[in-house]
Amino acid sequence: MQIGFIGLGLMGRPMALHLAKDGHTLHLWARRPASLEPFQAVDARLHDSPAEVAKHAEVVFTMVADAPDVEAVALGETGIAAGARAGLIVVDMSTINPNAARQIGASLAAKGIEFVDAPVSGGEVGAINAALTIMVGARPEVFEKVKPLFEKMGKSVTLIGDIGAGQVAKACNQILTGVGVAALAEAFNFAAKNGVDTARVREALLGGFAYSRILENHGQRMLDRNFKPGFKAWMHQKDLRIVMEEAHRLGLMLPAAAATAQLFNAIVGSGMGEDDSIAALKLLEKLSTPQ
Amino acid sequence: MKLGFIGLGGMGQPMAGHLLAAGHQVTVWSRRPDSADSLLALGARRAASPLELAASSEMVCTNVTGNADVAGLALQLLEGLAPDGIHVDFSTIAPSVARAIAARYEERDRHFVDAPVSGGTAGAQAATLAIMWGGKAALAARLDPLFRCLGKTIVRVGDAGAGQVAKTCNQLVMVAAIEACAEAARFAQAAGIDFARVRAATLGGSAGSRVLEFFGGKMVARDFAAGVQARLHHKDFAMVIDEATRMAVPLPVASAVMQQLDALMAAAWGTQDTSTLLRVLERSGKHSLAD
Repeated sequence: MQIGFIGLGLMGRPMALHLAKDGHTLHLWARRPASLEPFQAVDARLHDSPAEVAKHAEVVFTMVADAPDVEAVALGETGIAAGARAGLIVVDMSTINPNAARQIGASLAAKGIEFVDAPVSGGEVGAINAALTIMVGARPEVFEKVKPLFEKMGKSVTLIGDIGAGQVAKACNQILTGVGVAALAEAFNFAAKNGVDTARVREALLGGFAYSRILENHGQRMLDRNFKPGFKAWMHQKDLRIVMEEAHRLGLMLPAAAATAQLFNAIVGSGMGEDDSIAALKLLEKLSTPQ
Repeated sequence: MKLGFIGLGGMGQPMAGHLLAAGHQVTVWSRRPDSADSLLALGARRAASPLELAASSEMVCTNVTGNADVAGLALQLLEGLAPDGIHVDFSTIAPSVARAIAARYEERDRHFVDAPVSGGTAGAQAATLAIMWGGKAALAARLDPLFRCLGKTIVRVGDAGAGQVAKTCNQLVMVAAIEACAEAARFAQAAGIDFARVRAATLGGSAGSRVLEFFGGKMVARDFAAGVQARLHHKDFAMVIDEATRMAVPLPVASAVMQQLDALMAAAWGTQDTSTLLRVLERSGKHSLAD
């Protein structure tokens, strides 16, 4: 298949390479030429613009930072829509606002282009191991066409519903993981300030109802004081901003997520944005110690 | 002076009226033509478009709802204003949006001043508004005579955007105080105590405030008719949370208040007064009132 891929960062690069390994021809464009180097060894052609990529592709994937980036790449002057053939499928795997995804989908549909939102969970490690969780919003017949490609990048591929539904599922994922990490940091700080060994607390709780993958994985990294990302705190701040924007638009109360979003504001504002989101623990420790 | 005025709502109508009464030549434009009728009867002229209004004015005032409204009008007004002309915006919008508009005016030798107000429709009618403005100090001599027709407290806070920062702080303090007032009322009610007497007792002490007096009074009377519609405070707070996230500053109380405003919107009480925050609290907890 002729496949376009735009957004060759930490996540996008290994994802695109999995598709090349499966025998597809890649059509690439990147703002920074350095991003293209890892593709010299595979069947990949370089183009001057997203429009040129679209001209040669049956499916174009995007994996960029935020909604304005997706809009620019898809609908900008030299964007995908400017070069697309009728029936092209654009698959956005970035994490963006669900409502923005719906609007981009509608703009593309007006030009006869299919849109799929397919945000992922699993981080860089998941991308490298082709073990991502992929949450998809699409028309069912379009989903069937791209599903085999998703299966080269991820282990769990789920059609959630119409366009935008994938982003709603991702927002739910970020509520659960954000609040979960915050709760874990609070519990560990609580134990430590009580003079109790956090490692033993974790071990005991792993067998009970408080068991979670976050307690297991993030908890171990907290014990190891390993703050290397994983998933960077500023990205979690961004994702919670998306969640809260959408909640405000709908007039929807999310008290726990709101408090967590403020915690992430404090983490990023205190200069720990490049750390893993478990930097929540460092911040709470700092704020519970005299200056 | 030749003035233009756009945005003839509950605030804008009396403000434009004061400018006419002070002897200024006022041209108006409105999306709904009939909202200008009462001002035309007082001697205002009608322009066919914002562009035409700006072309015949030395200074243009706007008082509209949100970021998009102001930004959209600014594009048109900038084309009509003569060099050195001033656009004064009384709306409450994001500081970053105000700064961006001011920079665009600056490039073309026109001036944009952000001058949000506090005091509500009552303050607009009585010409007792608090006006907090941001813009070049050199403009003060031209702006002061205009502002004095509209308000009592006039403060230049700083450069472009500074007025909106002050207004943001105003909303933070005021709406959080309304929520605190509602919580006190709810607490008293649950304890079987008449909040009217609590309010009377506390008004003279350290907790005494204009909010306890005005909004507390509305809660005692269960008079939930707006005033300022709660949906506008909801809009302002969404903007505050958004800016705080952009700056990576935690605002835990504001964020909790925002959740109550979200719950208020979900209950479809957005056109009620913000003292309706009391009714949000009454929907849950012990001795909760039926909806």
